[in-house]
Amino acid sequence: MHSERTLTVAWLVLLGLTLIGGVVGNTGSPGLWVTVAVAAMMAFKGRVVIDHFLELGGAHPSIRRLVRFYAVALPVMLILTDLFGPQIAWLTTL
Amino acid sequence: MSIGTATFSAPPAPVLGRIPGNKAIWVGIYCELTEFALMFIVYFLARAHHPEAFRDGPQQLSTLAGVTNTVIMLTSSYFVARGVMAMRRSQRATCLKWLTAALFTGIGYPVVKFFEVQWNVARGLSGNGEVFQMAYYYLTFNHLVHVCWGLLGLLWVMARTWMGAYDATDHDGLEAFACYWHATDLIWLMIFPLFYVLP
Repeated sequence: MHSERTLTVAWLVLLGLTLIGGVVGNTGSPGLWVTVAVAAMMAFKGRVVIDHFLELGGAHPSIRRLVRFYAVALPVMLILTDLFGPQIAWLTTL
Repeated sequence: MSIGTATFSAPPAPVLGRIPGNKAIWVGIYCELTEFALMFIVYFLARAHHPEAFRDGPQQLSTLAGVTNTVIMLTSSYFVARGVMAMRRSQRATCLKWLTAALFTGIGYPVVKFFEVQWNVARGLSGNGEVFQMAYYYLTFNHLVHVCWGLLGLLWVMARTWMGAYDATDHDGLEAFACYWHATDLIWLMIFPLFYVLP
């Protein structure tokens, strides 16, 4: 169980990161490190929602692990797609 | 000592952790996560095959609409979480106020989406356009459907709260809805950077 204060801080952090994301979307230029930074932000925001909004810290392991994995797997897939895009395209071309 | 007595005197099984809300909602959330996982795989494959389209794509969209809807989802989720906290302290009226705030905030999502689509169409971004646009409409419209279901669910738990169906010790239904709403928020937090942020 979380306190109101912790939840409010988590919400404000998420709002702040969202605004930073908006700035990156408008001004950033393409590059691997930008992708890595965006992926890290995705994973962090996902973890904050999982821990403080969904409160899965004390939940059944099968629920906690799957949802936490989800929020890590997608950012990792994003980085892998940017790193190995041509190879993935080659492997998945009919 | 009889077998029956031995059974009663056995130590309780270790607690593996609680299931927030109820099992049924987690079946639904697993389905939702699986559905979106498949769509994300399609997104990544399309991105691998058409890197130029996905590099230029976010510039075609309204970053303001994406940021606004993210703020709406996060804030509505926060209000629902505060409502659950209030119910844990048996503050039913306070809980209802938080849920009402969550509803009015959440309604902003389809409203912003409506204006965003108008904005897109005026600039020639349609669902039968190039691959980035198709992926964008495919994923975000599916998410919009889940948000609309969530808003209906929110109306239901508000009615149940108003009728006094929940209290501090029994509010699994409210918590189950909260889990669905937060999971829908989580999925949006994955969608938002893929379409609106990545340069």
